[in-house]
Amino acid sequence: MAAAAGRNLMRRRIFFLFAQAALAVALFVATILHSAIADRERAFPTGAIRIGVDASYPPFAVDEDGALRGLDIDLAAAIAREIGMPAQFRNIGFYSLYDALISGEVDALVSSLPIDAARADDVRYTSDYFNNGLVLVSAADSPSLDIENLAGQRISFEYASSADSLLRGWSASSSELQRMPYELPTYALDALRLGHADAALTDNLTYRFYQRQHSQWASASQFITHDPYAIAVRRDNHDAWQLIEAALGQLRAGGELARLSALWI
Amino acid sequence: MQQEPLGLSQQFVQTQKPQVCVHTLLENEVEATKILRSLEMTRELGAGTIVQFFPWAYVEWQAGQYDWKRTDSIVRLARLQGLHIIARLGLVPGWARNPGTTLTNLPDAAFADFAEYAAAFAARYAADIQRIIIWNEPNLSAEWGFQPVDPARYARLLAVSYARIKQANPAAVVLAGALAPTLEKPGSRVGLNELDYVAALYQLGAQEHFDALAVHTYGFRAAPEVPPHPDQLNFRRVELLRQVMVNNGDSHKPITITETGWNDHARWLHAVRPSQRAAYTLRAFQYAEANWDWLATMCIWALRYPADLRGYPDGYTLINAEFLPKPVYFELQAYARGWAAQESLWLRPPGET
Repeated sequence: MAAAAGRNLMRRRIFFLFAQAALAVALFVATILHSAIADRERAFPTGAIRIGVDASYPPFAVDEDGALRGLDIDLAAAIAREIGMPAQFRNIGFYSLYDALISGEVDALVSSLPIDAARADDVRYTSDYFNNGLVLVSAADSPSLDIENLAGQRISFEYASSADSLLRGWSASSSELQRMPYELPTYALDALRLGHADAALTDNLTYRFYQRQHSQWASASQFITHDPYAIAVRRDNHDAWQLIEAALGQLRAGGELARLSALWI
Repeated sequence: MQQEPLGLSQQFVQTQKPQVCVHTLLENEVEATKILRSLEMTRELGAGTIVQFFPWAYVEWQAGQYDWKRTDSIVRLARLQGLHIIARLGLVPGWARNPGTTLTNLPDAAFADFAEYAAAFAARYAADIQRIIIWNEPNLSAEWGFQPVDPARYARLLAVSYARIKQANPAAVVLAGALAPTLEKPGSRVGLNELDYVAALYQLGAQEHFDALAVHTYGFRAAPEVPPHPDQLNFRRVELLRQVMVNNGDSHKPITITETGWNDHARWLHAVRPSQRAAYTLRAFQYAEANWDWLATMCIWALRYPADLRGYPDGYTLINAEFLPKPVYFELQAYARGWAAQESLWLRPPGET
């Protein structure tokens, strides 16, 4: 009698343990499934990704009769497709972008934003998608320039620009460097292309555009400074950051980011 | 604030252009060494004068008790660099404001308190500071405590302050205005254009209560030679203000431009290219020198911010927060100190040579 009761108790315990295990597995699977769905819902609770953009900065974003166009627009739309939600754009003045993000009016800023460490308490940036730092450009068939020794080299640049500031510092350490200031950075690149200068120092965006306009001209470049552009989300919206960063990674790995950059820049 | 550096000796400004001046922002600087470096770089620039803000709220943060430690230090360090100071007074301490208002909100009941501070300031620094600006941009609602702008109230503030300053230091020069350049029409909630505002001051008889007019005039995207027009903001807009003074029989009073400049920030719609900024700044001084005999001093906004703001205001500074001079600093220095000027700031486009 007591033995039969013990076996029954054992069976009930085994059954209970199996039931507990099955419930735990079911909960685990449900949590994972729910998490994958809930991430998007938590990140973008309106059912769309609300993108803040300053559409006054070609070729990244411009407003053409109400239609937004540019690299930032195409990139944000591609990210939204990767995430599987629609993108809604809001054209906001550059100096109101962060207020719109922090106040929750938008979910992300895709607006060629330089990374600003001072905003780290409020904002988290993704990895960068464009570097608008200064590049030292030389003709492709000339010997590569050693920035540690520019003595005797003729360097063209835009007068009073950040390139000018940098070169003033270089000039102090390499007195033989020949400074060639021009009113516009495109003139500095003209000087290089026409053989008046040995190198030009300009921002990457200007150089990329110039290359596009002079596709027959072969040139080489190296970054001298870095000015990365990245996407910003609210620091407390970790889900949004994860989703956008993952989407950006997919676009980068799949070549779509490079294609968009080539299309617009 | 840190202790002042020791062993400083008297310096002198070497300049060929005594009208060159910069607006400094030393009131929010923590380290005395940075105040000193800012003033040294002002002297090295060849600017003999600074405009500097001395907030009432920083000095008399307890009613009736003046804490002059910070202002004493700034004035002493400027004197040791051989610099003149144009003092701008404003910013209301908490005890003088109505609850829930901003630091630019000055109730009528506190006009006399502000005037007492202005008089105490004028007396204390009589040996060093002669020019005192009453308030900043009172033609903007934001600078007038987010109330509707009111020339009549400003005229009353001017009258009370003028009388007390003159009692404290009869040699003091009281500057009115420092109005913001704006196109706001009467009735606007934002402000009132400075032409109508100054005209209203004259209608109110305020000319008895200022010795000179302080003017803010910015170039925005226009070259310095572009003629003025009431519906446009540009550098020569100051000439329209001058005409208001002349129309009211005040042509004998000088004008001091206490804020001017161009901005070269890449992401601001009202900015110009860096090369234009440098060229326009030089040409502005040259234009003023050649055409404006009524101009006493012209001050560039701004020498430096205590920290870079990572926004368009950075495009106005001559040196960055790390004390690295921008190229426009060097060009202004060459002008002020009379060093051999280049024929052109830049080379001709390669295609034209």
